[in-house]
Amino acid sequence: MRRLRIAALGAALASAAVAVLPDAALAHGLVGKQDLPIPRWLFAWAAAVVLVVSFVALAVLWPKPRLETARETRLFSVPAFLEPLCGLIGIAAFAFVVYAGYAGTQAATANIEPTVIYVIFWVGIPFASAVLGDVFAPFNPWRALARGVAWIAGRVAGGRLPEPMAYPSWLGRWPAMAGILAFAWVELVYNNRDDPSLLATLALLYAATQLIGMSVYGIKPWTHRADAFAVYFNLFSKLAPLHWRERTVSRRLILSGTTHLDLMPGTVALLCTMIGTTSFDGFSQGQLWTGTNGIAPELTRRFANLGFSQETALEITFTIGLVFMVCFVGAIYRAGIAGMSSIGGRHDQGELARRFCHSLIPIAFAYVVAHYFSLLAYQGQAMASLVSDPLGTGSDIFGTASTIIDYNVISATGIWYVQVAALVLGHAAGLTLAHDRALVVYRRVRDATRSQYWMLAVMVAFTCLGLWILSASAQ
Amino acid sequence: MSTPETPPTGGDDPGRGLSGVQRAGVVLGGLAVLLIVFVVLRGNDDNGSPSSSSAQQTTAASSGADPTTSDPSTGSTSTSTSTSTPTASTGSTSTATTPEPAVQTVRVVNGQPAGGIKTISYTKGDQVRLKVVSDTADEIHVHGYDLMKDVTAGGSVEFDFEATIEGRFEVELENAGTQIAMLEVDPS
Repeated sequence: MRRLRIAALGAALASAAVAVLPDAALAHGLVGKQDLPIPRWLFAWAAAVVLVVSFVALAVLWPKPRLETARETRLFSVPAFLEPLCGLIGIAAFAFVVYAGYAGTQAATANIEPTVIYVIFWVGIPFASAVLGDVFAPFNPWRALARGVAWIAGRVAGGRLPEPMAYPSWLGRWPAMAGILAFAWVELVYNNRDDPSLLATLALLYAATQLIGMSVYGIKPWTHRADAFAVYFNLFSKLAPLHWRERTVSRRLILSGTTHLDLMPGTVALLCTMIGTTSFDGFSQGQLWTGTNGIAPELTRRFANLGFSQETALEITFTIGLVFMVCFVGAIYRAGIAGMSSIGGRHDQGELARRFCHSLIPIAFAYVVAHYFSLLAYQGQAMASLVSDPLGTGSDIFGTASTIIDYNVISATGIWYVQVAALVLGHAAGLTLAHDRALVVYRRVRDATRSQYWMLAVMVAFTCLGLWILSASAQ
Repeated sequence: MSTPETPPTGGDDPGRGLSGVQRAGVVLGGLAVLLIVFVVLRGNDDNGSPSSSSAQQTTAASSGADPTTSDPSTGSTSTSTSTSTPTASTGSTSTATTPEPAVQTVRVVNGQPAGGIKTISYTKGDQVRLKVVSDTADEIHVHGYDLMKDVTAGGSVEFDFEATIEGRFEVELENAGTQIAMLEVDPS
């Protein structure tokens, strides 16, 4: 997220506003802190951990599938009235954030909207989902709206609503993949990424697209396949030990939810997009990319020479970097799959790529934690002041408007350990899931074990890529 | 969920299964290796020199304590200090600020930092002394620490504060929105 690089752009945007409200825009001290790169010794140590964990796992992991066969225990059910209530809360929150985007100050750090979208929504919900289960679904504002409309229309029409069209099976999760890529593009590439009113317009556009999709293909099929954020948060929620289905809540073995991922088209692409965009976020802050002799300045110069404006040239350069990183991640995964398909015969690459892709979910979550944990820890604090002064107009609703961010809430060393721990644990979880799946896919334990040498290489590559991006070598 | 093919035949396969004791042994062995590697690597801790990718880094000698932060690149591993070793002390408690810390100067020419954006490194607890000489009137903003001072065209301002927050922070011409330096504070 480039630390809400709101600094550079926000300040430019804010410069006019600053003249008017000198304090409001700056008092929160929101911006401009980046993590220190992981020092070399810790990078080397973490890489060693990854290798040792991998080989220990090969030796120790169970010879019969366990996660695949894990059962759920029903815990309790949720009262019916909560469903419309949560939906209303979601709609109200969405409406308020959009309103703040238009009506509030256009200084990005003083308006609540960019922080809600980039920190609470984009980073906070994945963290919550991975621990508590799919907490977004009941609050999903566009889904709640669609259900409300459908309920009313059903009353009016007396149950004679036309049946929705069948969702095309070839489309699968591709719309979700496109949505996540588009969001990442806005966040990491687009020059006006911090412009509150523009973000509000994009949010409305997204909601409108979802409403159309749900009305054509039905609320449930669309939300489960094509609603990018619903799908994105739902993927992380499969890691959680809690499972919310209809109105019952069950307990399950951690990670076991991912084994129930339905393998429709576009799922592999979606997961590679998730990992690739997060990678690019880190990579694009490093010296290799932005440094004086880096790739980005050179490319930007060339595009500028072709007649593009400086801004457009920069956007083209970053778009190329973003797409390259996604393709790079996809290539690593496909290389491992290609290797695996050489074992035991009988399985073609497309099938294997789909059947093992759930093992990328913990890797994707590990990347999110490693890259965005500090953002949540620091910028999340800004919510304290922003809720009291959401529009940046100098109000003080809850008396917390002057709260400032405590940057010492966690030390740089603490952040390093969180990052390394996240990547190593994600690695171990990915290996475990792939191992468990291999025991189901391959008839012979020997084949399953041999196939996992390839998955091990893939996982080591992803984890070392993640570590390297955060380390002093890349930064 | 996908339809499982026939479950692995011979899942228990006594030939290659390990006993519980053997498994525990492998895990313990792995842990032991990691512990040793951690201690060894941590011993020659070289995080004083933050990056090799520089060619654009000035490194501020910190308050007499840590002369190894001379230049990156070199393999100067040992922190051969004369005064109290800074490792354990958490920052400013040691009153050994004998020599005046050097003032780092950033020059702004035509609204841009002369020589590109430089990284100025300190260790937590150091006294940051930063001077900005500018040919453009603007407000200098040190992010994170949230310090702001106005500078007149052709004038200069000086910041003098203790490095209490770790991380990398932008130093910026606030109104122009131009980053002029990067302040880096490493853990002590």
